[in-house]
Amino acid sequence: MIKKLIENSTAKSPWLYHINTGSCNGCDIELVAVLTPRYDAERFGFKLTGTPRHADIVVVSGPVTLQSKDKLIRVLAQVPEPKVVVSLGSCPRSCNVFKGSYSVAGPLDKYTHVDVSVAGCTPKPEAIVAGLAKAAEILKKKREGMS
Amino acid sequence: MTEMLWNLFYILVFPGLLFCVIAGLLLAGIDRKVVARMQRRIGPPIAQPLYDFLKLLGKETIIPRTASRTMFLGAPLIGFVSLIVTALFIPIFGFTAFGGVADLVVIIYLLTIPAVSIIMGGAASGSPYAGVGLSREMVAIMSYELPLVLVILAISRKAGGVFGIGGLTFSMTQIAEYQAQFGPMITKWSMIPAAVAMLLVIPCEVGNHPFDIAEAETEICEGTLVEYSGPPLAVYKLSHAIKMFIMSALFSALFLGGAGTGMLAVDALIFLLECVAVTIISMSLPHAVTARLKVEQVFKFFWTFVAGLAALSVVLVWFGL
Repeated sequence: MIKKLIENSTAKSPWLYHINTGSCNGCDIELVAVLTPRYDAERFGFKLTGTPRHADIVVVSGPVTLQSKDKLIRVLAQVPEPKVVVSLGSCPRSCNVFKGSYSVAGPLDKYTHVDVSVAGCTPKPEAIVAGLAKAAEILKKKREGMS
Repeated sequence: MTEMLWNLFYILVFPGLLFCVIAGLLLAGIDRKVVARMQRRIGPPIAQPLYDFLKLLGKETIIPRTASRTMFLGAPLIGFVSLIVTALFIPIFGFTAFGGVADLVVIIYLLTIPAVSIIMGGAASGSPYAGVGLSREMVAIMSYELPLVLVILAISRKAGGVFGIGGLTFSMTQIAEYQAQFGPMITKWSMIPAAVAMLLVIPCEVGNHPFDIAEAETEICEGTLVEYSGPPLAVYKLSHAIKMFIMSALFSALFLGGAGTGMLAVDALIFLLECVAVTIISMSLPHAVTARLKVEQVFKFFWTFVAGLAALSVVLVWFGL
């Protein structure tokens, strides 16, 4: 019964950690719009944490640059299981307009698995909320698969 | 034998473990909801702190290579247990689980232990962010201890003028008795500055806005809790919720006491409602309308303004008002 309770709570309390790997700040602003009173993601239990150790969902925005590559891999390793990786915007998926640049080492799925990918440049806040809700469901499935 | 069973019941069920956990999670949920409504949001469900706690139980526990293992895992439990013990000494109108001659002094000491446990846990985790966080936690302790002690001195003199032998009483039972006979402390006008000071001490003691310098997640990545994950973090989050309950309960017992109705269940319900009111006034309201203060601002604010209010109360009481 306790196992069931933990699994159900996992979907209801996903904490976010946001890492910017060379984004132009557009997606970051839209993510902040989702978390602040206008779209209020806290009503689904989402909360922004300051450290990867507390996180369940890692939101990555930006094409992975050479400078941020090592830091990204380290941060992803610091997140405790179960964890879900969400790519925010077109950049982490395809490098977008930065493709072919000498300083870009992306896309993101060269370095980690990507569970949910929210498309758009920049994605609409509604799309981000939908993507995060999907990530919460995947988080619950991962928790069920753990034990 | 029956006495031992009753003591076990006190510790594990009614004013102890179970009651504290339920009341703490309830207050934390109400706090988050009220803050959300003040900011015109819908806000998380009331049970959100419970979901957070259960989710953290199901996460992996990572112990950093630089951490000292025993201290890292033991520190959360020390803080949690000392909070539960504190709850046993706080009277609910006429009822106290364990009364004593000087239980108010014991409460002051027990209230320091959760903060010390946070410092211990942060120091054991071996992270530089935790190092900054624990030094800030020490500043916070130094800030609120002086006004808190002054407030308690004013109350003990007020109640002790009637009952105590030396004009002072540090017994919670006698303070509750005084309020049952002469009405709640907050109705005495010489105690109003002390009540305001106590309302300002509560958010600092709990570590809430605007005094959450030790856990500033935007500056120092949650400070002392930076390396915690999984069940130890769950215990810390639960301790934080229970601390909200303990501090508002302490305020209710010291300032909002009274004769009660005589029935324990009704008394406990009224007491809980008082705690909710204190939580909304002293924690939700400042959280919704203020930003975080700087470290030295917190220290200065508590040692001048808040300590001044508390000292004013002490002086007034000493002149017999």
